Amino acid sequence: MNTDNASLVTIVMIEDDEGHARLIERNIRRAGVTNEIIPLVSGHAALEYLLGEDGSGGVHSKRALLILLDLNLPDMSGVDILQKIKTNPHIRRSPVVVLTTTDDEREIQRCYDLGANVYITKPVNYESFANAIRQLGLFVAVMQVPAAE
Amino acid sequence: MTAQSLGLNTFQSTMLLFAAGAVLLFMLVISSFKLSSETEAQAEKIAEQRIVRMAARKTKVGLLNAETGQRGFLLTGEDIYLEPYFRGIADAKKYLGDLMENAKDRADQDRIAVIAPIVEKKLAEMAQTISLAKSGQRDEAMRIIGSDAGLNYMGVLRDNLESITERADTAVGRGLEDLSTSANRLSITTAFGSLLLISFAGLAFYIVANNTGKLQAARDSLQTLTDELEDRVRSRTEALTEANDEIQRFAYIVSHDLRAPLVNIMGFTSELESASNRLAGYFARTASDVDEAAAASIATEDIPESVSFIRKSSVKMDGLIGAILKLSREGRRELKRERVQLDELVETALASLQHQIEEAGVTVDVEPSLPSVVSDRLALSQIVGNILDNAVKYLDPRRPGEIKITFVESGGRVKLRISDNGRGVAEQDLKRIFDLFRRAGKPDRPGEGIGLAHVRSLVRALGGDVTVESKLGEGTVFTVDLPKKMSGQSPVTKEQTA
Repeated sequence: MNTDNASLVTIVMIEDDEGHARLIERNIRRAGVTNEIIPLVSGHAALEYLLGEDGSGGVHSKRALLILLDLNLPDMSGVDILQKIKTNPHIRRSPVVVLTTTDDEREIQRCYDLGANVYITKPVNYESFANAIRQLGLFVAVMQVPAAE
Repeated sequence: MTAQSLGLNTFQSTMLLFAAGAVLLFMLVISSFKLSSETEAQAEKIAEQRIVRMAARKTKVGLLNAETGQRGFLLTGEDIYLEPYFRGIADAKKYLGDLMENAKDRADQDRIAVIAPIVEKKLAEMAQTISLAKSGQRDEAMRIIGSDAGLNYMGVLRDNLESITERADTAVGRGLEDLSTSANRLSITTAFGSLLLISFAGLAFYIVANNTGKLQAARDSLQTLTDELEDRVRSRTEALTEANDEIQRFAYIVSHDLRAPLVNIMGFTSELESASNRLAGYFARTASDVDEAAAASIATEDIPESVSFIRKSSVKMDGLIGAILKLSREGRRELKRERVQLDELVETALASLQHQIEEAGVTVDVEPSLPSVVSDRLALSQIVGNILDNAVKYLDPRRPGEIKITFVESGGRVKLRISDNGRGVAEQDLKRIFDLFRRAGKPDRPGEGIGLAHVRSLVRALGGDVTVESKLGEGTVFTVDLPKKMSGQSPVTKEQTA
């Protein structure tokens, strides 16, 4: 794998709040990241996309995914989605960035235990938020994401 | 029962019954005593009458014997008849003396008064005839006897003595009748009293047994009630704990969910701001006519002003949500029991305020050797820290600040008093100051009205209470009342229901 691989990374954004999704996208773009961003607004839509119609996750075989995950979804807990991602043989190596308003320590710990790679608290202070996203964007530009098996 | 209709309780009626029994027994003893002493008196009287009767009879017999002896001697001249004569005289004298001594009856006494001189005369007559006979003047003696004087004397004596005997006989008969009546009365009284006593004892036994039974039943039902009450308290406590947990979760969820839209408001406000900045930059470069200048003023003044209000309000709202979140999180935190030296804790709290204390020139006076408690260290330091912070924050600028920390120890509790001479709290505000987001006095100091709400919820979590006394313009005293040993395994949520 080479650094060109970064440009092939597909960013899967699981976020029910349209405003948050838009702000995240804007800031990622501002960081100069042009990768495809797939917005998903519910837990069910997210699982359908990630695991495919057959539910095996094989649909993403050989693809590189970066998953942005909000924990507060209307139809299911983001933690459950995280667990499904990290126990699926095809997509479990995809990095997951948890983005949420919760800064509860136990929840953060739980996410890391389940295999989350980065945990970002959405600060109300927009500057910090924008910074965090932009840095994530910069990070995406150089990161090595393994393709799903 | 009549006792109940009189409004007496069981105990009172039982006591009344016992008292009545005691009175009855007393009366029975008294009347028995009286009756038996009456009987005794009657028996004594009978004995007296018998003595009188016997004395009268024996006096008569003595006189008759003496007379018989006299006559025998006079007829035969033999000395052998003098023996009964002298014995008769001795008897008559002796028994007459007894009679005089014992006769108490008025009529007897009258009769004795009559016979006593006649006895003397009779004796004198007999003695005269005996001595005449001895000196050989037997005829003269016979003449005296023949004169009938002695016969008359004897008749009077016999009549009177027999009357006394008869009267005494009658008296004895009557006395015996009375005695038997009294004895009957005594045995009837005793029997009746005994019967009454036995029934009282039976009644008392019945009442005591009955009451004991009732008492046992009452105790049983009390026990049942207590058990039920305990069950009810337990289930209520569970319900309250559940409700409290739900409130905690509610506060947590609400504050989280409120944050999500706030992120948008803040984010898009910033986007709007940067957009209007760019617009303002554009107008600054290109504005040439009046219309464009007006548009420029919108971009440079109106939009930024609105944006700044939105931002300020959002920041404030975030602060409030953060406070709720903090309180709900404190409520969910597990408390850790450990020994905490209060003087060390106060010292640390003061050290973290050192800068403000020196700047304001506050004198702090801590009572030496504050006790130690078993409690949650973090919660305690937040409680003391918040109260001290307030004391330093709300000083009265007209006088140098003084803060005093004292304590009172009593009955397993420690009262920590933190007093200041600051600006004080008005009476109508005293209740509000522990409420969330409520503040008192002039809002000239920064703050959100969280500190004391936090203090109260923490103190309650530790099983204690916090109270405030204050006079506006004079100072404030906060009293933190803590158990010396916090009860074990009590998560905050459970304690807060109390």
